[in-house]
Amino acid sequence: MKKTLVLSLAGLALASLAHAGSFQINLQGIRQTAMGGSGVAMPWDASAIFFNPGALSRLNGMEAYGSAFFVSPNLRYVPANSGTTSYEPQKETSTPFAVYVGGTLRKMPKLGLGLGIYTPFGSSVNWGDDWTGKLITQSIKLQSVYFQPTVSYAVHERVSIGAGFVYAIGSVNIHRALPLQFSDGRSGQLVLDGKASGFGFNAGVHVKATDKLDVGLSFRSGVNMKVDNGTATFTVPASVSPLFPAGNTFNSNLPLPNITTLGAAYRFTPSFLLQADVVFAGWKSYDSLKFDFAKNTTAVANSSSPRLYKNTVAYRLGGHYKVNDKFAVMAGGAWDPTPSDDKFVSPDAVDADRISLSAGLTYEPVRNLNIMAVVNYTTTKARSVSYSPENFSGTYQIKSVTPGIGISYKF
Amino acid sequence: MKSTSLKILAAASLFAACKPNIEGTAPTKGSADFSHYTAIGNSLTAGYSDGTLYRSGQINSFPNMLAGQFKLVGGGEFKQPLLPGESGWPGAKRVLGPVTGCDGVTSLGPMLYPGARDTAGSSTNISNQGPFNNLGVPGIRATDYLIPGYAYGALLLGGVGYAFRMYENPAVVRPIDVAAKSNHTFFTMWLGNNDVLLYATRGGEGQASGSGPSDISPLPTFKTSYKAVLDTITRKGQKGVLINIPDVTALPYFNTIPAKGLVLARQGQADSLNAAYAPLGIKFAVGANPFIIQDGSAPGGVRQIKDGEYILLTTPQDSLKCAGWGSKKPIPRSFVLDATEVANVRNATQDFNAYIRQMADEKKLAFFDVNTYFKTVQSGVHYNGLTLTPVFVTGGVFSLDGVHLTPRGYALVANKIIQSINDTYGSTIPDVDITKYNGVLYP
Repeated sequence: MKKTLVLSLAGLALASLAHAGSFQINLQGIRQTAMGGSGVAMPWDASAIFFNPGALSRLNGMEAYGSAFFVSPNLRYVPANSGTTSYEPQKETSTPFAVYVGGTLRKMPKLGLGLGIYTPFGSSVNWGDDWTGKLITQSIKLQSVYFQPTVSYAVHERVSIGAGFVYAIGSVNIHRALPLQFSDGRSGQLVLDGKASGFGFNAGVHVKATDKLDVGLSFRSGVNMKVDNGTATFTVPASVSPLFPAGNTFNSNLPLPNITTLGAAYRFTPSFLLQADVVFAGWKSYDSLKFDFAKNTTAVANSSSPRLYKNTVAYRLGGHYKVNDKFAVMAGGAWDPTPSDDKFVSPDAVDADRISLSAGLTYEPVRNLNIMAVVNYTTTKARSVSYSPENFSGTYQIKSVTPGIGISYKF
Repeated sequence: MKSTSLKILAAASLFAACKPNIEGTAPTKGSADFSHYTAIGNSLTAGYSDGTLYRSGQINSFPNMLAGQFKLVGGGEFKQPLLPGESGWPGAKRVLGPVTGCDGVTSLGPMLYPGARDTAGSSTNISNQGPFNNLGVPGIRATDYLIPGYAYGALLLGGVGYAFRMYENPAVVRPIDVAAKSNHTFFTMWLGNNDVLLYATRGGEGQASGSGPSDISPLPTFKTSYKAVLDTITRKGQKGVLINIPDVTALPYFNTIPAKGLVLARQGQADSLNAAYAPLGIKFAVGANPFIIQDGSAPGGVRQIKDGEYILLTTPQDSLKCAGWGSKKPIPRSFVLDATEVANVRNATQDFNAYIRQMADEKKLAFFDVNTYFKTVQSGVHYNGLTLTPVFVTGGVFSLDGVHLTPRGYALVANKIIQSINDTYGSTIPDVDITKYNGVLYP
């Protein structure tokens, strides 16, 4: 029963090209997304479990929170020297979500407790089985869901700290054509399918520096997502099938990067606030994507595709204006540089420097119940790059409009 | 009303804003005129593959690929003298299949196409369907272009009538006359391969300079003929591409059976060969040994093959495995390209290529140095996930005859030709997508 639940959650958590560097997804809170993704300095709601566990103990009571986004990025690839040829992956909608339950206890208001379930990384691209890059990738789907029980404590009237343990589950599914052709010209195919898991933590400090200024710092550790005994299915012409043993399996690991965020929020008036975050992502750990097969033959060798990611620093800025007791509006923007190297952008992980603009509103129809909505627009400039190991070069562009909705209830 | 159209406008602009707006660049023709393209050449131009000519091979000829791209910049129809069938004409094509050797071991290898032959109508003269844009004639040498009645002669000499079926008045016409009738504005000319290749693929049994079917063409004759063809097809100032002659020793035809291919598993085998060859002072050891080859000038008429000498792909495998070829008996000289013969091939290739280069410079034509390019392919070409090498069968570039290309190999060549056209004439003709063309197919 429990397992079924976990699997169905994972099924929802398909993610996307649309948000933040590479396969990182920054859609863990409606308010924060509406403010350019910033939010480490303010305990807006129970999503503090994700944004800054240190701020959880600043909540006023317990809260249940749920949000979902509808992500369907538009990607286009124009191969180099190909005239007006262009390719777009199949349109897919994924729904990254977040669920938080947490806050402070009535009897122990300095103590915050909570559980967060969210989807901080993922990627899904389906170029189709017969496009020009089919021998590099036909489709790839990476999913992850983090479970994070969290404790927070106000150690001082102005300072609170918090930390959560992260258990991550995920899955990988990759389809790729093989350069072995059947007698009718069809290409062979490799399908890799596996479940992944990993551990990590999320810790933070929140400081109410003055009555107007809040400051926050959070550190989400890297999580090494390990795939053990995933299935590797080779579909090849019969005459070469002895070289591709049936029932093969593979191991792999995907190092999800650590993320350090420093931010501040300043109340200019009782109803108007600006906040900004600086986000450091430790992508350097993602050096190559490796697959080790259990049964190696002359035709089935372990593979390693260089990625050579670089660490990045992103900037996020947003404002919040409380219109009246029921309504508030938010707007913001972000600059998210890509961790990928110009010579190592593979069509299975297309990325570029992103500019993102967003706006949102919250509505409190009855006391303690909040309905939240946001829309985000993310765009990249045209990026002319290559995946040099395969001489795969061309120009990519990503654009997306992403709506999200959420609901929270204080109890 | 007004607000509705505003809403539609707003919706449309929102829709536009979330779609990527990058576009490729529209192809341009530069200073060349591609409206009527004619291809001059031999089997490589005709689309010959897997040891024969067949319809889909012709459709995947590099000139047909080029014509497809030329259409993007004003190119017209490209007519080829297509055969009716797929099985190969006159001989069956080679396909991969289970081949059982004399030792009873079955392995995957090239075999003649086992299916029904669909050659009916292949030998019919179809010149009334012309004029053809692809004038590639398998087997033709540069020096054949000035021979009256070449097509008829080639037929009588045991040639297969590739020219015969497409030429008007084949009994009298010279190939150069056919080229002269072409009304082209642009051309490719890949000629001269057979002036060296036929000598090499027959083990260097012909003359190093002669006009026989296994000879290397004499340099002065080659030059006269090559220049005459080129003068003819550029007489109206037409632009085009010259392609030179690849060093044939880079082909899998000469590199698949290794010179040190005599592998002795047991000491006993080495001992008995040592005893047999003791008078000649040839020694054998367990492991890989050079094959024994026939050589009239060596003591006893046999010797070990040396580095830089080649054994032909056509050497019967069963004779090597079970009849003692290369060990107890020498490999006949017609299956070996020895050092002198290799030098003859290399020298002729160098001389012919120097002349082709000179002609390209003189006439200010685009030039593709396929000779140098094929040498770079030795270490593997990466393209969109493909790794292409000259290795027989698995490399994907060369077809199952070890000399001619797969569609994928021809596509590789087409793109290099396009590059040289773009560089010379300032055009921006796009590449063909190599992944759309077949390599070697597996059953």
